Amino acid sequence: MATDTGSRFDGNELRIGLGLDDPRRLLRGAAGVVGFLVVWHLVSLTQPAYVLPSPAAVGDAFAEELASGTMTTALWSSVRHWIPGTIVGTGLGVAAGVAFSWNGLLDDVTAPLVRTLRPVPPLALIGFAIAWFGINDAGAAFIIAVGAFWINYYAAYEAVEGVSEDLLDVGRTLGVRGDLDMVRSIVLPASLPGILTGIRTGLGRCWMLVVASEIFGVPGVGREILRASNNLLVDTVIAYILVLSLMYLLVDVAFRAVQRRVLVWRA
Amino acid sequence: MAGVNEGPTTGDDSTGAIAGESGVVVDGVGKTYDGDGNPVRALDDVSFGVDGGEFVCLVGPSGCGKTTLFRIIAGLTGATDGQVRLAGAPVTGPTTDMGVVFQEYHLFPWLTVEENVGYGLERSDRSEAERASRVDEMLELVGLSEFRESYPKSLSGGMKQRVAIARALAVDPELLLMDEPFGAVDAQTREMLQRELLDVWASTGKTVLFVTHDVAEAVTLADRIVVMAAEPGRVAEVVDVGVDRPRERGDPAFGEHVARVRELIGARP
Repeated sequence: MATDTGSRFDGNELRIGLGLDDPRRLLRGAAGVVGFLVVWHLVSLTQPAYVLPSPAAVGDAFAEELASGTMTTALWSSVRHWIPGTIVGTGLGVAAGVAFSWNGLLDDVTAPLVRTLRPVPPLALIGFAIAWFGINDAGAAFIIAVGAFWINYYAAYEAVEGVSEDLLDVGRTLGVRGDLDMVRSIVLPASLPGILTGIRTGLGRCWMLVVASEIFGVPGVGREILRASNNLLVDTVIAYILVLSLMYLLVDVAFRAVQRRVLVWRA
Repeated sequence: MAGVNEGPTTGDDSTGAIAGESGVVVDGVGKTYDGDGNPVRALDDVSFGVDGGEFVCLVGPSGCGKTTLFRIIAGLTGATDGQVRLAGAPVTGPTTDMGVVFQEYHLFPWLTVEENVGYGLERSDRSEAERASRVDEMLELVGLSEFRESYPKSLSGGMKQRVAIARALAVDPELLLMDEPFGAVDAQTREMLQRELLDVWASTGKTVLFVTHDVAEAVTLADRIVVMAAEPGRVAEVVDVGVDRPRERGDPAFGEHVARVRELIGARP
């Protein structure tokens, strides 16, 4: 085929990420953004601002919120929910996933509980968040942690399940000393790619949960979105959505860099 | 997923050890699988020995239970009847007295070459200095000193198998137990690895039990060949390879042995 149409039909690999290293991709991405903004602007001309504000109005709202200090205060508040919620949820999720997947007894004991609790959406636990922690940072962090827990639990569980029995046999013939040694020296490194993919998915999901976790009155970006929605300030809503997107992008790029370093040994 | 097989790896005198016995003895080993209420006899009364320092190959048609027998000898699977003894002591689980090499290498991809070789040593009671010099020695032995800091992904199949051999030998086992170790590499590499293995064997004096389905490979390597038959898996005959090394494939004596073993494998009861 003479021109690269980008179709998978041409044999292009599926590409994920920003592709900052490929100028052609960067250009195409920029064209996509500009095109989107143009269409948005044109459509916004036909609509009142409370249905669809123009991109320029969103820019103004962003600048205004930033200048007044509301945005930075809200963001700092959300970060204080996001960081502990993500760390606790990820840590417990990975630990439980690895432990229950590796140990058949633990797996049997916990399987019915896991299947009962798994479908409960984090938002449904707001009552518990308020009762156990109150309307504060800890309550919001709890909601985020629940979301992070399940993603990481399943990712770790499946990653450990997928560890080759042959590698375990090699370990056994080389004198592995007990379960702890086996898990630390073989199971964890072998399942690390899957665990890291789970963590990365969880990091993104936790930014989404920031909005939900602030629904019951804890200040933050989510709270600002809800408040602006109630006042039909759609331009402000979009400005704060952009804040969440930028935070997600920042964290994701940083995590991918870490992931590549940690997994240098992978083909 | 199964846990780790703990506990004593080779028994002591109270569990039927036989004093003065060297090498490996496979004594009346049988294995029956459940097969959904329809028991399948995979191995029946398999008996043979490998003397200390001897190189024995185990050949047989596919389905004769070679791999099952390999796993039983390695202590990775239990036998239904009989026992395997290493230096007189019954094998009851995986043990560092055996260096095991698998067909698909099974290197730890997250460890460098030297870390792979050092994996077993880290679990021994050697000092750090002893471990380091042992790793150097093993890398030297298989000619991979230059690649010590490489990850397995960047190695060829032949190099990976050299690392696996070095890793298995590092803990200084009594027996080197190999399951079709050169089955996954091209013919040219295989011949090179065979020559190298014979050199390693000559320089270390290890006892070697080598499972293969390649008759010419067995005749190239072995002092004796244990020929197995299928359904149920059993020993058909043990053939002495009385040909001086290095062995040439063009040598008539070599061809006679290959023909003899092929005939035994092809023979039906």
